[in-house]
Amino acid sequence: MALLEVRQLTAFHGDVQALWDVSFEVAEGSITTLLGSNGAGKTTTLRTISGILPPRDGEIRLGGERIDGVPPHRIVDMGVVQVPEGRKLWPNLSVQENLVLGAYGRRGRPERARTLRSVYELFPRLAERRSQLAGTLSGGEQQMVAIGRGLMARPVVLMLDEPSLGLAPILVDEVFRVIREIAAQRATVLLVEQNVHRALQIADTASVLENGRVVLAGPAKQIAGDAKVQTAYLGL
Amino acid sequence: MIETLVRVVEAFISALMVAGLYATMSYGLALIYGVMKIINLANAGIMMLAAFTTLVLWQTTGLDPLVLVVVVAPLFFVVGAVLEVVVVRRVSAAAPIVSLLLLFGTWLVMQAFANLIFGGDVRGVRPAYIDSVVHVGDVTLAYNRIFVFVAGAVILVLLELFLRGTFLGRAIRALAQDREACALVGVDTKRVSMVAFGLGSALAGAAGCLLTLVFPFDPTNPFGVLQLKSFTIIVLGGLESIIGVAFASFLLALAENLTVTLSRPQLENLVSFVVLVVVLVVMPGGLAALLRRRRLA
Ligand SMILES: Nc1ncnc2c1ncn2[C@@H]1O[C@H](COP(=O)(O)OP(=O)(O)OP(=O)(O)O)[C@@H](O)[C@H]1O
Ligand SMILES: [Mg+2]
Repeated sequence: MALLEVRQLTAFHGDVQALWDVSFEVAEGSITTLLGSNGAGKTTTLRTISGILPPRDGEIRLGGERIDGVPPHRIVDMGVVQVPEGRKLWPNLSVQENLVLGAYGRRGRPERARTLRSVYELFPRLAERRSQLAGTLSGGEQQMVAIGRGLMARPVVLMLDEPSLGLAPILVDEVFRVIREIAAQRATVLLVEQNVHRALQIADTASVLENGRVVLAGPAKQIAGDAKVQTAYLGL
Repeated sequence: MIETLVRVVEAFISALMVAGLYATMSYGLALIYGVMKIINLANAGIMMLAAFTTLVLWQTTGLDPLVLVVVVAPLFFVVGAVLEVVVVRRVSAAAPIVSLLLLFGTWLVMQAFANLIFGGDVRGVRPAYIDSVVHVGDVTLAYNRIFVFVAGAVILVLLELFLRGTFLGRAIRALAQDREACALVGVDTKRVSMVAFGLGSALAGAAGCLLTLVFPFDPTNPFGVLQLKSFTIIVLGGLESIIGVAFASFLLALAENLTVTLSRPQLENLVSFVVLVVVLVVMPGGLAALLRRRRLA
């Protein structure tokens, strides 16, 4: 049984349907990636899993237990944590306050001092800037805070929504290195990316979304070799 | 000449004394607006009910409002929390005008209620020290004003410690900046909104309790004018920080006092209205934006 299962998920923004029967699985300890171009429904999928957007239909299970319909803060308490698109930091709180608030939930709070130390080890630059307001950081640093804040919750599954978006190549390398490390030591990873090439390099499994539907799914290696993916997403 | 100088110094000091009360009542409004993007038009109603509650408690127990505030503020925390759950929450997704009208209606209901129970007479709480003053050089200070200032300052410092030092307090500040991000770290945003509305109401309650020592009051006055003053203060001081609110409170009180000292007492209440209009027209971002522009220039 997969750790996280999404079955026949249907979701709407108001009256506009955004997801049609989306199904995929995330195996424990793996990196699963959800690919697709602008507007494909990747963010909508993650927001539905997080409980921000209640699904119209379908099931979401964590370790076999239904989590669809559960409010967002309870989903965090169950260990499903999201690092949102665009980072969504609190700009007028300090770096450290942003991180510590990441441990607001039931899982993170008792461990917060220890997790904070390990986040500063993972991102030494954040330790130097701990008292700076998050809004004054560079884009790369803000992304590190966002990932660090997600880790503070002690996730079982960490969902990252386009963590490399808008970053300089050297920082993209850094982000992908960190994702590998997270998957190896801390949490199962569900990665949403438009950087298809890099995502397929580190992922175990991949699903491709188009217009709110899963059009392709399988082991990352196989997806990377798919002729359609190569022309549509990899520019080969 | 010397006499004018003494009067100006007096105006400064009494402005400072009133600023504690002003800041207490305005920060509640700022807190609620920051978190829920709702203007609590019932703020003045809560102050008024707190003033009458204090009056009744003072008459029955003989305890000073400075002591009663410890009971009255938590009581109005509960009132605010209930108001949030029963009224505000239902319209939080609707257009701003809906909550505005609903809370304005709530204020009118509170006024009618107070008129019914307490009548329209002007009241006040007059403990033994009410007419005592202390002389510092040539400047005369009334005890009640000193006490009210100190109480207001203590309340705001405690609130600030809570907002900066606890998980719940930080969540309240974070909620004002990005609500969805709060949900994503496990904050029960509905519950924290309720707490924020409760805290804002507790501040209004504390202000209502303390003002019984310095202003005579009835179900309508001076609460309507104070409401306008709170708007002026948060427009001037911004919603971000307690320092901005405190500073704006002092500036407004000073402008009022200088007007009274150097011109006519009748103009006092006109000052806040003029300041409000000037701020909105000339410096829409309030003091904070003005300072920021300075720093950039
Ligand atoms: N809040 C919203 N209200 C209405 N429609 C929305 C909303 N958010 C997304 N949509 C629509 O839903 C569809 C899926 O959007 P979504 O944000 O999930 O795509 P995405 O795959 O994350 O794209 P991107 O790579 O640009 O982030 C799009 O057609 C989008 O316009
Ligand atoms: Mg997206």
